[in-house]
Amino acid sequence: MSAASGAAPNSQADVGGSGGDGPGAGGAVRARGSRHGRWTAPGMLLPFGVFYVVFLLGPLVYTAVAGFFGGSLVKGGLGRWVGLKNYREALGSADFWSSLGHTFYFTLLTTVPLVLIALVLALLADRFARGRWFFRLAFFAPFMLPSAVISLLFMWIFADEIGLAQGVVKWFGVETPPSWLGDPDWAMISVAAATVWWTVGFNFVLYLAALQEIPAEVHEAAAMDGAGPWQRLRLVVVPMLGRATTLVAVLQLVASLKVFDQIYMMTSGGPDDSTRPSLLYIYQTGFTDGRTGYASTVSLLLFVVILLVSLVWFAMVRRTEKGS
Amino acid sequence: MAALTSAPARRPRRRPAGVRQAGSERLFNRVALGVLIALALLWLVPLLWAVITSVRPPGEIAREPTSWFTAHPTLSSYRQILASGRMPYWYLNSFITSALTTLLAVVTASLAAFALSRLRFRYRRPVFLLVLAGVMVPPQVLMIPQFLSLEATGLLNTYWAVVLPQVPNVVAVFVFKQFFDGIPTELTDAARADGASWLRIYAQIVMPLSRPAISAVTIFAFVWSWNNFLWPLLVVTDPQMMTLPVGLNSTQDAFGLPQAQLMASAVLGALPLLTVFLFFQRRIVEGIAGTGLK
Amino acid sequence: MWARRRFLGAVGGLAAAGGLSGCGTAVGQGLTGAEGPRSELAFWHPFTGGDGAQLAAMERPYRRRHPGVRLKPTTMVWGSPYYTKLTLATLSKRPPQVAITHLSRLPTLAASGLLRGITERELAEHGMSPGHFRTSAFRTAHHGGMLYAVPLDTHPFVLYYRTDVAKKAGLLGSDGELADIDGPEKYVDALRAAKEATGAWGASVASVKDPATCWRLFWSLYRQLGAELVADGGRRVVMDTGAAEEVLAYIRRLAVEKLVPPAADGNGGAITLLTSGKAGFLMDGEWQLLAVRGAVGGKFDMRPFPRIFHDGPYACAADSHAFILPKAGSVHAQRAGQALDFVRSMLGSSLDWAKGGHIPAWQPTARSAAYRRLKPQSHYAAAADGAAYDPAAWYAGADSNLYRKFGDVITSVLGGHLRPEPGAARMREGLRELARTEAPV
Repeated sequence: MSAASGAAPNSQADVGGSGGDGPGAGGAVRARGSRHGRWTAPGMLLPFGVFYVVFLLGPLVYTAVAGFFGGSLVKGGLGRWVGLKNYREALGSADFWSSLGHTFYFTLLTTVPLVLIALVLALLADRFARGRWFFRLAFFAPFMLPSAVISLLFMWIFADEIGLAQGVVKWFGVETPPSWLGDPDWAMISVAAATVWWTVGFNFVLYLAALQEIPAEVHEAAAMDGAGPWQRLRLVVVPMLGRATTLVAVLQLVASLKVFDQIYMMTSGGPDDSTRPSLLYIYQTGFTDGRTGYASTVSLLLFVVILLVSLVWFAMVRRTEKGS
Repeated sequence: MAALTSAPARRPRRRPAGVRQAGSERLFNRVALGVLIALALLWLVPLLWAVITSVRPPGEIAREPTSWFTAHPTLSSYRQILASGRMPYWYLNSFITSALTTLLAVVTASLAAFALSRLRFRYRRPVFLLVLAGVMVPPQVLMIPQFLSLEATGLLNTYWAVVLPQVPNVVAVFVFKQFFDGIPTELTDAARADGASWLRIYAQIVMPLSRPAISAVTIFAFVWSWNNFLWPLLVVTDPQMMTLPVGLNSTQDAFGLPQAQLMASAVLGALPLLTVFLFFQRRIVEGIAGTGLK
Repeated sequence: MWARRRFLGAVGGLAAAGGLSGCGTAVGQGLTGAEGPRSELAFWHPFTGGDGAQLAAMERPYRRRHPGVRLKPTTMVWGSPYYTKLTLATLSKRPPQVAITHLSRLPTLAASGLLRGITERELAEHGMSPGHFRTSAFRTAHHGGMLYAVPLDTHPFVLYYRTDVAKKAGLLGSDGELADIDGPEKYVDALRAAKEATGAWGASVASVKDPATCWRLFWSLYRQLGAELVADGGRRVVMDTGAAEEVLAYIRRLAVEKLVPPAADGNGGAITLLTSGKAGFLMDGEWQLLAVRGAVGGKFDMRPFPRIFHDGPYACAADSHAFILPKAGSVHAQRAGQALDFVRSMLGSSLDWAKGGHIPAWQPTARSAAYRRLKPQSHYAAAADGAAYDPAAWYAGADSNLYRKFGDVITSVLGGHLRPEPGAARMREGLRELARTEAPV
């Protein structure tokens, strides 16, 4: 009955647990599971731990260290020690800063609409209990699609001459619509539009759930006070969504900083590298040029940026929780 | 907090009681519904457009690229895509890698979460914080050393190259731990008193009770693994070994493929997860909502 | 319980999947990393569109003669992604058995240790010898004294011209071919005459969105001045700034005198200028042959890029496609014998390949009467002897960083935004920056 991993009772004195309670004692408030063999806990943690160390912790340390070497993909290994040369190159490189700039630009172009549009959609859909499955399907189904499908769809829609987007714009009277993916001024906007279509459903669902949490009494009270539907929305409901909005915004921000798929497939970072985000820059320097040391440096810098954004969120959430 | 242990007690929302349906209220609702329906239809356009394009005969698209109507719908594009042979492999590869990833992720994460939730040991708190800190590290910035380690072990271009780095799933540990914390201690205490080992308790008592958590983690891990693009792009270059997203991308590479075929492959690529969505809508939505409420 | 059900489901699914015969091996490979069946020959190439169709036709004789071999060609889009994937595949020890490369990329691939060398004896065993290939291409296919690629063709930068416009401009000689236009003044005169005949432009060249074409224009002229760019595998910059300025000045002259348009785009805009009659000449690669012919039928001809400068031997920017054998994990995975058989078979169909505009490297075809009858291909075949390949550096080669840096400068010069001296300085600075970065090979 007792497996080898579980020691017989009374064999190990537990750190903080009080021994001696028999089967009849039950109902203790403190979670007890105290007594266990020496190897039970490590044993259960080990499988996860191995993966965690080998594929998360280890690589993180490697990335930090490799930035000080001039490693090459084809030669393998860490390469020659170069000290701060990679950092100097990255921080002085126009390509590095422009790719970071493109990443921020993309983040801005997607986060704002994704928050606002999802909010509007949720506010509207919340009013109608019937048919909600239809709206959920329409807005959320795209979220389930792989980025490759999104890219194929929108490369067709944004195609020059024969694409739907240009066709629609021409129908509205614009003679020569821009090349949606070929014009440096429009390429990022087009990719952002595709991304908004793709992921708004996720935020929509989050907002809907938050709206469901608002008790009916709040609506009733406001209505009793004579507030019209528009006022109720503006002055009562939206302010109560503060926490949800923070969550949505931050999830969106962090995800946008990691953008790669759609840009790689729709524009390859072009035209003229005008849409290249940081992650694609890392891919190109690390795997196309094969400079693993330099690419590790850029990876670490990107990680720092993402970390800072996450920490800022953490601080903001703390603040709002203290306030409310 | 424990959104997964019980459905939130939801009062059916009614229109504010006792307030006469004011004209403004009705008007607002009509406008809202109109806007909502218009937007929903707009949102359906890209997929509909893809489907329509995919059934148009080859020459027609060149002649009338933006026409919504086709006189001769045909499945020839689908047949050609499936005949060229690679797509079934991609489905298979995606399924196998996602299933393996999910299986390993669920097992390792739940075991670890169980230990963190039920077992008292010296370094419990620091270990938990260390694990949680992993949430801050996006896997994309780790791709170089991960690639190098897989290259060194000769695992590139195998399923394991795709699966292994995706297994450590910190969010899953967190979800499981939250859930386990909510399971009454009496259950485990009783079993413990009967002399059951912790492993047995895990397998025969706690896990069977954790269906909501398991299904949430399973669905999310599976979908995330299925849709992963950058990592398989790096480690699987053999066209026969590619997962679906990478394979679709390589289709696009071979341009000169007519649009109808490209859209057919897009539709075929969309089908698996759309089907999953149709079957598991409720769970998926609840899972997301649960994340949000934490 | 749930976990068990899922696990069984997964295993059951795998078993079912394994039961499907074809997929069985694939799944096995995926799980164990075993090699594919030895009857398969994987072939990667970047040829789409018309070239892709030609290639498929060339594969047919091989398939007929080797029914036991499953040839599996994969098409990929041309450019850096192609080379990235090739590198990653070779690192995984499971690359395709044969692949196409540009010879300009060969030094980097070979220095990276990604290619399997080919000995002369192996060539002979499969019906090939050094004498069968064009010397310039064959030489460039070597690295460190070893042969690493088997050349298929040379594709140079050439000059297209409208025969009707040339006739109107009085540029055709008595034999119906273009009169002598070699030399800076003669070429400018010819363009001016063409401009008058068309009423719009003299020559068209893709000046925007096409750094490769801009680079080729620059490189042809620069090499005609006999100058070099880098040495030591790209680590040392030996750029002749004066020569660069001279080239840029000439290009600027063409733009200033309105002989070439300032912003013709590389997505077909430049070609359209020729085919619609708004330009008498087009400076582009020979691979546009089919596109041009499709638009204007027989009203055009081609000739080697003119020899503007005589300081050095004749040169025109060119590259070659060649077959390579990426290094596999084992002799069986390599299947070099099968691969070389395939290569020999493809070379035998070089005439088909030439129909797409490329100049065959396989001399038996190049010297044949059938090829000589191909017009306009035979009119520019001589250009292959003056082929100026890209400088040997890891940052150079097809679709490289070098193209972009230099291409940007040319675009600006043609657009009138940049003068020769600062342009050459910018080129030099860009080159220095590239040479300074730690080479990955």
